[in-house]
Parts: sequence; C-alpha cells; structure tokens
Amino acid sequence: MPATTDSSAAASFTNIGRSILSLRRDQVHSIEGMNMQHHDADTELESFQKRVTDRFLDLSSSSDELLTLSWVQKLLQSFLISQDEFRQILFRNKSQLHKPPMDRLIADYFERSVKALDVCNAIRDGIEQIRQWQKLIEIVLIALDNKKLIGEGHFRRAKKAMVDLAISMLDEKESGSALANRNRSFGRNNVRDNLHKSLGHFRSLSWSVSRSWSAARQLQAIGNNLNAPRSHEIMATNGLANLVFTMSFVLLFVMWALVAAIPCQDRGLQVHFSMSRQFSWAAPMLMLHERIMEESKRRDRRNASGLLREIYQIEKSTRLMNELLDSAQFPITEEKEGEVRQRVQELSMVFESIKRGLNPLEGQVREVFHKIVRSRTEGLDSLGKGNGPD
Amino acid sequence: MEKFLANLDSSGSFAKKKSDNAGHHHIRSRHTSDSFDIGKSDGQEKVDQQNGSSNDEHLPEEATLPDQFFEEVDRFVNDDHGSKTSEIPKCIDVSFYKMVESMIVKYESKETSSAKFGQNEDQDALFLESLKCISKLINKITTDQFSSRSSNLLSSLNNASIVLHRGMSLLDEEFRLLLDQRRIVLDSKTPRTPKHSSFNFSSQSSQDSDRCLLPDSTESNEDEGFPNFSTEAISNMNKIATAMISCGYEAECCMAYTCFRRNAFREVLNKLGFDSITIDDAHRMQWESLEREIASWISIFKHCYRNLFPGESKFSDAIFSEYPSISQRLFSELAAAVITPFLSFSEVIALTKRSAERLFKFLDMCETLNDLLTTIDDSYSKEISQDLTSEIAVVKSQLAEAAASIFCELENSIKSDQGRTPVPSGQVHPLTRYTMNYLKYACEYRDTLEEVFRFHHKNVGFDDAPNQENHDINEHLTEMPNDDGTPKKSPFAIELIAVMDLLDANLEMKSRLYRDPALRYVFLMNNGRYILQKIKGSNEIHNMMGVTWCRKRSTQLRQYHKNYQRETWSRVLKCISHEGLQANGKVVKAVLKERFKNFNALFEEIHRTQSTWVVSDEQLQSELRVSISAVVTPAYRSFVGRFKQYLEGRSMDKYIKYQPEDIETLIDELFDGNPMSMGRRRN
Repeated sequence: MPATTDSSAAASFTNIGRSILSLRRDQVHSIEGMNMQHHDADTELESFQKRVTDRFLDLSSSSDELLTLSWVQKLLQSFLISQDEFRQILFRNKSQLHKPPMDRLIADYFERSVKALDVCNAIRDGIEQIRQWQKLIEIVLIALDNKKLIGEGHFRRAKKAMVDLAISMLDEKESGSALANRNRSFGRNNVRDNLHKSLGHFRSLSWSVSRSWSAARQLQAIGNNLNAPRSHEIMATNGLANLVFTMSFVLLFVMWALVAAIPCQDRGLQVHFSMSRQFSWAAPMLMLHERIMEESKRRDRRNASGLLREIYQIEKSTRLMNELLDSAQFPITEEKEGEVRQRVQELSMVFESIKRGLNPLEGQVREVFHKIVRSRTEGLDSLGKGNGPD
Repeated sequence: MEKFLANLDSSGSFAKKKSDNAGHHHIRSRHTSDSFDIGKSDGQEKVDQQNGSSNDEHLPEEATLPDQFFEEVDRFVNDDHGSKTSEIPKCIDVSFYKMVESMIVKYESKETSSAKFGQNEDQDALFLESLKCISKLINKITTDQFSSRSSNLLSSLNNASIVLHRGMSLLDEEFRLLLDQRRIVLDSKTPRTPKHSSFNFSSQSSQDSDRCLLPDSTESNEDEGFPNFSTEAISNMNKIATAMISCGYEAECCMAYTCFRRNAFREVLNKLGFDSITIDDAHRMQWESLEREIASWISIFKHCYRNLFPGESKFSDAIFSEYPSISQRLFSELAAAVITPFLSFSEVIALTKRSAERLFKFLDMCETLNDLLTTIDDSYSKEISQDLTSEIAVVKSQLAEAAASIFCELENSIKSDQGRTPVPSGQVHPLTRYTMNYLKYACEYRDTLEEVFRFHHKNVGFDDAPNQENHDINEHLTEMPNDDGTPKKSPFAIELIAVMDLLDANLEMKSRLYRDPALRYVFLMNNGRYILQKIKGSNEIHNMMGVTWCRKRSTQLRQYHKNYQRETWSRVLKCISHEGLQANGKVVKAVLKERFKNFNALFEEIHRTQSTWVVSDEQLQSELRVSISAVVTPAYRSFVGRFKQYLEGRSMDKYIKYQPEDIETLIDELFDGNPMSMGRRRN
C-alpha cells in the first residue's frame, strides 16, 4: 500500500505554521476526527501501527529505489504523515498526557525530537553541498555541450570542474592531500588558497558549524535509552506508550537514514537499533537498516560522503569522465568523442535528477524541522495548561 | 628572464604601429597606442606545433593590428553565406591566438602576489576584448558549422578554445584575488573592531530585563565600509565578471563570487560575535545566557539586514552591472543563506520554556522579523523573496504562538493567585503592581501583540483550552461603545480586558479577606486607584481600554469612597447629631456627655486604626482626608458650638477633648501607615 493513500487521513489539526512547501497542502484538511466523541482508542492506536508498518513496507519494497533522492523524499513524507497522525492521537488523549508515566514518555520524545533539529540543519548544509556539486557538474555540461562541437579547451574546462568536483566530494579528512595534488597539476600556488575557500566552506553559516558537532553522536543521543515500553507502562497509558515508542523509533530511523544518505559532519551509522519484533513495523525497518548498512560497507561506498544513490552516480560518472578526459588526444577521434558524448549524457541525467529533487527535499527537511518545533510547542502548551493552576 | 622578455619585446612587438582605420571602434582604437609585448611561451609553442605548416608564416602576420583581428573575426562570424567553405582566416588562426596567448603569458608572469589585472587599463581592455572575440569565434564554429568538420576548422577550434579557457582561468583567478582583497583591508582595520561595541551595547541593555534596545543609526556609519573595496577594484571586478559571463563562463564567475561573499559574511558575523550554537545547546541553556543570545541575535541580525544587506546588494549590482538578474539572484541567495540560521535560532527560542518574563524577548524577536520583512524588496529575486517570506511567516507564527501562550499564562497566574493573607494596611497588592506593570510594558508592544492575538484567535479553534472566557469577553465588549472612534474589539484589547476582568475578580475576592469593611474599601480604592493611574499614565494602554472604561472605573472608585465613608463615619456623625438630645425642650446633659464620650472614643479608635492604614497615592489620600474633614469637622464644630454651653468647668475639658481644629489635624494623620501617631499624642 503506497504511503500516499494515507495522506487524507494525515490531516493537520492546525493551519498555522504549515509550510508553504508542504507537498500535501491541497490534501490536508481539517479532520472531522475532533468531533469523534466515541472514539475507539484501541482501534486508533492499532491503525497507527498498521499505517506506519505499511509505510515502511512500501519504503523497503524496491531495492532499486533505496537511497535515491526520491526514496529519501518518500521517507521524509512518511515521517511527516506519521508525525501528524501522532499529534492527532495525542490531542485526542490530552487528558492522559500529564499522568505518569505518560508525562515522562512524552517529555522524552520531545527531547529526542529537539535533538533531531540539529540533524535537520546539518542535512540542510549537506544539501547545500550537493548543490555545489550540481553547479560543478553544470559547468561540465556547459563545457561539453552535446549539441556543439567540442574543442580541446572545452575539455580543459570540463576537466577543471571535474577535479574540483572530485576534491569537493572527498571526505574532509582526505581533501588536504588531494588539494596538494590538484595544485600540482595546475601548477599554481595561489590556487590552493582560493580552492580552500571555494570548497567545503558553505556550511560555515550554519548552526551545526561548531567543529565538535557530530552527526554520529547526535544520532546516538536521539536513540539513547530508547527501549520498548514495558507491559505495565502500556497498561498504565492505555497503549499510548506504544504510540510514543513507535514515533520515537520512526524519528530515530529517519534521522539515521538522512545522515546515511546526505553528507554531513562526522557521519557515523553505528547506532544501536534495538527493535523488538513485537512491532509490525520492526521487520521492514530492520530490513532497510540492514540494506543501508550493507551499502555503507561496500568497498566503493565506504568512503563516500553520503550514500545517496545520486552521489554514487556522480562519483561513478566523474571517475569515468576523468579517465576519458585524461586519455583523450587531440585531434579527438570520432569514437572517443562518441564516448564523451555518452558520458555527458549520463552526467546530465544525474544532474537533472538532482536538480529536480534537491529543492523539494530541502523543503521537506525544513518542514520536518517546523513540524517538530510545532509539535513541541503544542506539547508545551498542553502540558503547561495541565500543570498551570496547580 | 628579463633579457628574454626584452628580446621578445623588440622582435615580437606588433602593436605599436598606427592603425590605418582609426575610429573603427572607440574601444578598439585606443589599443593602437598600446605597447604590447608578445612573449613566446609554452602555450604558444603548442599552438605553433599544432598549426604545423602555418608556423613559418607567422612572422609577417604578426604585423597585424588587434583591430584588424577583430574585424576579421567579425567578418567571419557574420558571414552567413557559403558558410560551408568558410575557413578561418589564417591571420586569426595563427597570429591572433598567438597574440592573446602572449597576453596571457605576460599577465601570468607578473611577479606580484596581488592582482595582475588593472595595472594597465588599455591593456586589460584589449585583452578582454580579444577574449570576447575568441568566444564569438568559438560560438560560430561550434554552433553554425556543425556539419563541416574540416580538420582545419577543428584544429582552429582546439586552439581557440584552449586560449579562451586559459584566458578565462586567468580571469577566474584574478577575480578571486580581487574578491579576496577585502580580507587584507579588513584585517588591517581590525583593531577598531567597530562591531563589538554594538554587540556590547545590546547585551548591556538586556541586563535590566528591559525590552532590548535595538541598535539604530548610531551604528550605520561604521558599516559603510562593507563590502570594503576600492572603486578601482570594483571596476576591475566588473570588467572581469562582464567578460566571463559574456564568454559563457557565468557558472565559474558566480561560483567564485558566491564563495567569497559568503566567507566575507561569515567573517563579519564572527566579528560581530555571532556564535554558532547548536539547537541542542540553546535548548539546554539557562535563560540568562539565552537572553544574552537573543539580544545579540537581534542586534546582529538587524545589523545584517539594515546595514550589510543594502551594501551587499549595491556591491553585487556594481559587479554585475551588465547582468541585473544575475546580481539579484546572487545577492538574494547570499542573503537567504545568512538569514537561515537566524530563523532557525528564532524557532529554537520559540520552543524553550515559557514564562512571563520571556514574553518581551519573544516580542522583540517578532518585531525584528516584522522589520526584516519590510526590507525584503526588489533587491531579492521573486522566488527567494517568496520563499523567505513564507519561512519568516512560519517562524513568526511559532514565536507568536509562544508569546500568546505566555500571555495566557498571565491570566492563569492571576486566576491561580489564591493567597489567604490580606495585604496589611489595605495597600496595593503585589499582584496588582505586577500585572499592571506587565500590561503597561506589553502595551509598548501593542502592534506586535495585536498581530500575535489576531493570529492566535484565528487558531483557537483547534485547541479547546485557551480563552473559553472569550465569549464573556465578547459580550462584555459589545456593550462598549466606540467613544473615540477607534475599534475597541482589537484582538489584543480583548486579551487586555480579559486580564483586567480577572484582576478585578481576584481583587474583589482578596478584599473579602479583610474583616473590617472600611479597610476592605480602602484596599479596593488603593488597588483601583493604582490601576487607573497606571492606565492613565500610559497612552497605549489608555487608548486600548478606552475612555468609557476609565470613566466606569472612576465611578466605581467613587462608590468605594462613599462606602468607606458610610462604613466609618456614619457612626461618628450619629454621635454628634443634634437630634435626640432634648427631652421636653431641654438638653439632657447626661445624654450630651454620653455623646461626647462616645464621639471621643469612636474618633480615637478610628484614628488609631486608620492612621496605620496606608493610602500611598497622595491625591487619593488627600481626597479622602478632605472629604472626611468636610463632613466631620463642620458637624463637630456646630455640635460643639451648639452644646458647649451645657457643659461647664472641668467637665467641659473632660468631654470636649478635641477642638474642631484638633479634629482636622487628626484627620490629616489618617492613612499614613503610622501606628505611633496617637500614642505620641497621648504621651
């Protein structure tokens, strides 16, 4: 069942703060659920579990799609819808939220979600970085325009952009030595300074700039002490403990997958996922986890700045293109030229898919950010009101 | 090396000769007087080799003037007839490329760490013109003549594209160097650190938990230096950018520009004290630290969009004067990148714990965002301005919700103030002081709070909790006429009146804690007076509550006054009433003595208690004394005057203990909060 069919149910309670970028803007309408006085809480909780499971089944259904830009978008979409549903259920059970252990569980969830905000910001920086790569690819595509004759100077122009791209895509740790190489090949000293500035500094205005910030540690903090609720907790909360646990896990997984896919500071995927099989969504989520871990261990992906499929394609195309440009002799043979045209074609396909996907993805990351803040502020409101007069 | 160059200068210079078609083009014609050295370089050798047979012919051709090359290229590019056979003119294919290449070599060999461009304007112009010319040529070859892939054509394309790329790479580097110039200038100026003062300025103002003073014009002078480039550098960058873009190197040009400007902003922001803290840290921060962060957020942010952005926009317009849409795009991307972390910080603030004292900081941030919105104008590209506007709206909505909920917390805290101990002496209750000062403060943010509540009321629908009182308030409001023509039912006015009503109800409840009804009225008067004075003392709040409301309150206060007088003084007046003293037309002395005795006792008792009561408002105090005196003194005087004659000697002194003047004096001692006054008298 595709996740999108749920979107009508994923209505938002509030019109405020809804991002303009919301993809489901037209589908979101105020739910009648508020008036459902005779709501069957058990059914509601069960169907939430089921919908989350369906979403993850859908996400894990195609291995071709895994970690592509559109997959990441789908993942975020799943998060946004689940988060909406989560909020609705909490609102309908407002009276229970101040009672222990529910108050603690909710507070825990909010703490985790606030930690996810830093991840969102780091991911936005990562997206900005991919955007820089996109610009460099664009130079290659301009230089080696398939509709035009190509001269040796065009090759040199493309090559220059390619080298910049390759360096920019390396992990920060390795970029130092690569820079030296690049400068040697260009034989100019002052290039190094400029290059230093041109690469990897776009994140500098971000909140995640502090050098010590680590995505890996942040993920660990989000997942810290995230254990399946005990039976007495489930009993005491009328099952709401399961709801919070599920949403916490969805949060953790989505943040983990984002960090896996998109470049960001100190990526590390060694987060302990202690999923108990009692939840139906655990199986598809574990499967995704396994596949992404496998992907990260592949030899050609081990040093990647992000597991996003498109990044892999850029790396691959860049490598092939570089080899080709290095081996090209002028005047160029028609055969070689044909090969170049072929590579340019591949590169332009990656380029197009990044161009198409990056802005919506950034919009979604922003929306995740806003949603988390909003649910958190709502939480403060309702908790504050509950405690107010006491 | 020098000798080598000198050699080349004598043998290879071709530019000194007079142009025979002077005036062909005004830029070009200037080049005729240029001295231009041709250096033979590696690159040139390469060109030579690739041109093979034509190598030998290059000497005579070197005599061609740049203008002649340009004409040749123009002719070739504009030749639409027989394009198939059209061959690149030999002079271009060999000498022109060679000339441009030698220019490049000359630039590259300049022994300077600073910009090599801009030392010789004519030379630069010729160089750029040549590159544009080559670019035109390449465009012609690559697009128009795709079918005729003669080896001659292809080899010319190779040479032309190599020269163009080399030239463009040189320009790219020069552009970066020029853009970087600012660092050097700025570094030498750092001892001044102008921005730190502004940062301190705002953090000082935050200490007294006052609303944060926003940095204003005092700063702006210091910012004229950003971006800090000489006119010459700007002109050179403009030339380079124009050339790069017109030659199809827009992407490289924009990348270099964006990168350096972003870094420049980063440096400036760092100097201003813009700390990058993670959300996690901000979230855990103590309010005192956070307050400081907010103050610096406001001052730095405001500085950015008020002072830095306009300068930045002008700067990019100057660099990309030929390409306004590129300038607009680059500027707005840069501005958006700077704004983003500020917005993210605001959202984080919105999710921190709410408490009453934080309201004003939240409102400060809202105001700053509103202010920012007014600056997003045509200097921003449409797309980015829409994007930013909607992002700012989201962030504002988060802050507004937080602010509204803090304000509603005030209502809650009034409701929940259930203290059972009356304030001694009937004084103004701390809750009254707190609430009124808070409201007065809040009213200084009237416009922002109107917006906050307009927004909040629209959204109450989804949340059942806030403002169930709204119905009552609305009823309340419909009774109120618009006395000064302004609409009274503004969203903030609704909240304000709700708070006032709650406060009234609470004070009414508190007044019942006093056993003495007279003291109860003094308490009500004190608090009512305080409220009214506060409201009258602030135009904002006065306008919001309206004249009618104030009039109603004054009436109420008068009623309390009357009630007080009745409670306290009617018994006293009864004692000195002329009635009931006579029996059968004669004054009964015993009754008279009793009356005097009672009066004295009653008056002393009142004096003793009520001089400990406090009416801190001087006017109210004197109003009370005057009105008491006006009732009591004449009555006493006439009583004494009328019945004095019935008492004689010692008993006169015994019963007429106080002269009317004494009474007046003693009344003037009431409400002084002085428990000793009577005691002093007695002893």
